[in-house]
This record gives sequence, C-alpha cells and structure tokens, in this order.
Amino acid sequence: MTNDFMLLMPLIIITAGAISLMLVAAFEKVTIEQASFCCMGIFGIAFLMQLSNCITGNVTPYETVFNNMLVISNFTRVAGLIILGCGFFTAMSAQTYFKQNNFCTTEFYSLITFSACGMLLLTMVQELISVFIALEIMSLAIYILVGYDRKNKTAAEAVMKYLMLGAFAGAFFTMGAALIYGGAHSTQFSSIGQFVAENGFFNNPALVAGSFFVLVAFLFKAAAFPFHAWVIDVYDGASAPITGYMATGLKTAIFAVFANFLVADESLRSSWVNYLFYFSVFTMFVGNLIAIGQDTLKRMLAASGIVHTGYLLIALVAVSADNFSGNVILYYLAAYAVGTLGMFAALSYLGGEGEKRKSFDDFKGLAQVRPYSAAAITIFLLSMAGIPPTAGFMGKFFVITSAIDAGQIALAVFGIISSILSMWYYLRLIISMYFHEATDSFEDTTSNGLAPIGTFILAACVLIIGLYPVII
Amino acid sequence: MLTDGLFILFTVFAVTGAAGLVLFKHPMNGAMSFLVTLISLAGLYALLSAKLIFAIQLMVYAGAIMSFIIFVIMFLNIQEEDLPIEEGRFKYLIGGVIIVAPIGLFLSRVIKSFPGADAIITVEGFGEIKEVGLLLFREWLLRFEIVSILLLVSLVGAVVLAGTRRIAK
Repeated sequence: MTNDFMLLMPLIIITAGAISLMLVAAFEKVTIEQASFCCMGIFGIAFLMQLSNCITGNVTPYETVFNNMLVISNFTRVAGLIILGCGFFTAMSAQTYFKQNNFCTTEFYSLITFSACGMLLLTMVQELISVFIALEIMSLAIYILVGYDRKNKTAAEAVMKYLMLGAFAGAFFTMGAALIYGGAHSTQFSSIGQFVAENGFFNNPALVAGSFFVLVAFLFKAAAFPFHAWVIDVYDGASAPITGYMATGLKTAIFAVFANFLVADESLRSSWVNYLFYFSVFTMFVGNLIAIGQDTLKRMLAASGIVHTGYLLIALVAVSADNFSGNVILYYLAAYAVGTLGMFAALSYLGGEGEKRKSFDDFKGLAQVRPYSAAAITIFLLSMAGIPPTAGFMGKFFVITSAIDAGQIALAVFGIISSILSMWYYLRLIISMYFHEATDSFEDTTSNGLAPIGTFILAACVLIIGLYPVII
Repeated sequence: MLTDGLFILFTVFAVTGAAGLVLFKHPMNGAMSFLVTLISLAGLYALLSAKLIFAIQLMVYAGAIMSFIIFVIMFLNIQEEDLPIEEGRFKYLIGGVIIVAPIGLFLSRVIKSFPGADAIITVEGFGEIKEVGLLLFREWLLRFEIVSILLLVSLVGAVVLAGTRRIAK
C-alpha cells in the first residue's frame, strides 16, 4: 500500500536533507568528511524509499492541491533511482577527492543534494513552467559546483561558458513554453497532447515553433549536436566527481523529461522523429570525431558523453507514445551511469593533487602498480564501448533492437558503426594501462577513502546489470 | 488606436533598452538602459490589463532590484580603465544578427497566427490582486513553493562563489 505521501517521500527526504545540510554548514564543528557521510546517508535513505515504492500505471499525487503538476509512474521511479544512485556515488568519490584537493566546504554536499532535488522534480513534472523551474534548480546548483574551485582558471572559464550558454538555453525554453501556451492554451503536457490530438500539429505555427524551441533547450542540456560545443570545456573544468555527476544524473533527468514531453501525444512525437534521426546520427559521429582527437582523459570522456547522447536519442526516436514504458532509455541510462560514475570515481582518487594526472600517458602502466584499479577501469571502459558481458553491451543491444523494431534500420546500422568507431579511444586507455612500463608510482593516491570502494561496487554493478537486465 | 500607438512606443523602448544593455561599455550605462526596458515592460503589462504585474514590475524590478544593481556597481567603483578592451565586437554583433535573423523571420510568421488585438481574451476581474492570489495559491501552489528552492540554491551559490571561505578541515 503506497499512498501519495510515500511516493513523494524520496523527493521530500532529498529536499529536507539539502536544506538541513545547508543549515549545518553554518556550524564550524562539522567537517567536510561528516558532511559527505550525511550526504551519502540522505541519498541512501531516499534510494531505499524510492525502491520500496511500487507503482502501477500513472499516479497523480495530491491531484487537486498540486493541480496535476506531478505524475509518478514506473518510468519516473526508475529514473529517480538512477539519479539517487548517482548522487550517492558522487558523494562517495567526493569524500576521497577532497582529501587531495583542498577547496571544499560543507555547502558542496548541500548543493549536490539540491541539484538532485531539481533532477527528481524534473523526472516527475508534467507542466512546462514547472519543468523550467526544476531545470533551473538543477542547473544553478550544477553551475556553482562546476565553479567551486575559485582559484582554478579552467573551472572559472567552464562555469562562465556553462552559465552563459545555459541561460541562453533557458531563454529558448521559456520562449518555447510561451509559444506553446499561445498555440495550445495550456502548459500541461496532457492538455497539450489532447489539443494536438483534436486540432492537429502542423497547422498550428505557434505550437510548432514552441515545441521546436523547447526541443532545442533539451538538446542543449543533453549535449546533442549542434549544441554540444560547451560540453568538452565544462566537463574538463569541473572537478572529477562533479563531472561524473553531470554526465550521469543530469543526463538522466533531461532524458526523462524529454521522453515525457515527446510522448504527450503520438503526432507530436512522430512529427519530430525525422529531425531527431538526423540529430542522433550527427551527435554520434561528431562526438566520435571529437573523442578521437582528445589527449586528456576527462575531455575524451566528455566527448564520449556526446556519443552516448546520440544512442539515447536513437532510443528516443524508437519509443512509442501509446503504451510508453521507456525501459530501453532507462536501461541505457543506468548502464551508462554505472560505467561513467565508476570511471570518475576512479579518477577522483587516481588523479592526485589538483588532478595532475590528466592525459592518457599519465596512466601508463597503471596495471602494474594498481592492478585492481586498472581492472575496474577496464571494466568501465569495456562497458562504455559495449563489449559483452557488460551492462553497456546490453544497453546498446536493447537500443539497437528497439530501433529495428520501430523500423529505423538505418539508425541501427549507424549506431553499430559508431560503436565500432568508439572502440578506438576506449581501447587506447586500456592499452596504455596494460602494455606500457609504469613510469609513475601512484604513491600519493590514497586507497583508504570511499572512492575506491565505490569504484569496485560500481564495477560489480556493471557486470550484475549486464548479466541480469531484468532487475531494472 | 491610442493603444496601438502606445504598444509600438513601449516595444521600441523595450528593445532599444535591451540593445543598450548589451552594447554600452560601462556597466552603469548598461544598468540605466536596462531600466528603460523594465519600465517599458511595465507599460506593456498595463496594456495587457495585468494590473498587479504592472505594479510589481515597477516596484520590485524597476525599483528594488534596479537599485540593488546600481548599488553593486557603485560599490565596485568601476572606472573606465578597469573595463576590458573589446575589439571587434561589432563584427560579432553583425554575425549574431545574421545567425538570429532566420529565427526572427520564423517567429514573425508565428506571431501573425495569433488572434488580433480586437479579440477579447480577458475575463472579469483579470489581473486583480484577488484573482492572481487565488490562482497562485490554488492552481500554482507547488510551482510557487519550488521557486523558493530555486532562490535558496542561488543564495547558497552567491555565498559559496563570492563569500569568504573557511577551508582546511
């Protein structure tokens, strides 16, 4: 028996946790270590709460009071689970990261929790203005986290670029929402869907323009071509745990709301599918080209994030508005999230002071010095490249089969080609870890933090999710 | 007829003010230019018979927020020599206009599809304090509440990014 309150419990825990962490930050006695444990605790409890909820169909909690703003379904539940897991492991790797990097204050963890609050809202909201507010809660917290290291010039550059371009995307979104309201007389997804079903889509210019702008804003946040230019610099400038968080949690939230918006009505979705086709193909190939040219690990991972956005767009093209479950998208997001989070957790403790180990060459011979870490990284890379029996392989498999089922054979072929291309840069790191003599002793890397534990849990998760896909 | 004239007047002022905000080099000139935009927007709200929003726009935005911005600029005491040299910004401006122009043309087509000014879309009591309040706290309650989280995040952000930090623990 789950009632409305219990369904909203994860969101309430996260919000209350964020506010209390913010208040606790005022006390001198609280160390950042304790704050990170608190943050992990909040995420852990919220995760278990979310896991314990069983949902059948669409539930609208507090229908009259909230005026149908939130809709909870199994899709939002699993998306929420992924986000909460991302938050948990981010706090875990941040704990170790800040043993070597000294710019953390207790507010850091409060902001991670606040952005998770925005992400959770984003998965559930079914109304454009609330989407905007949730999007901004999430983005603002992420902007601040990116620029947290005030002395670091790359971080300052990253936050400036992200803030400016993000504000631009936000403006596009608001304009789109206004035009949709002008065209469909409502900002509620269900009413827009109803309106489109009754009056058609293409004979209403305001609606077409509005949904175009909204789509542009979503594509920007998801880092799809041609709105991908910011990703590399921003991911590079942010600290390793935050980059992992941005690449996973934020993407999950964006794709959840993207899918919710597209499936509002079948004709709305099908009219954009042709364009999304080109977006996804270009995103995959441009991302691959950028990734091949990168020399530093973080920039390569950022570019590979663009490629993964391309795969997710394939999954989005293949969803259907009738009987929408979104399993493929969620599975892919989960598979991608465990791989990427694990990678950044490993970078958090292997990076050293001020993230001095950056390029592929810096990780030469890691397998001799730190064999377990190297093995874990290899698992994550193989998963991202899509090699069986990892989660990434199953994710790509589901995406490509769903594309074939939806009749998008060309897209499936492009997806396979792109995944072969991506082997190049994933294997490059594996080769440099295993087939070179060690030049660095990695002595300064701590192994008594939580990040190594997190890395190995995530490495196990990659295999478990890959072998038992049913659990998601 | 008079409303049409006023509408054109306010829009021209709003757009010019916004352009000035971007183009003026000194932040103080930019802030003054922004004030023009804010006041013209208040005029546009008045034309739309949104009485409460009109008053709020004047009091809160053109009044309170604007004076805050001016305080901050005065507080920082920015002189001419503190400003960065911006070379070729008109080149960027022209490039930007060329990129944005198709979107503008597209939007002007969209705007034409809306009903004209003669259509009456407001209802009795539209824009009054009572109606706005009822709407805000009945139908838009949750949005109203989550906006407070947004403000809280920006507050924490301002403290973190600009305030003094106690690090080393």
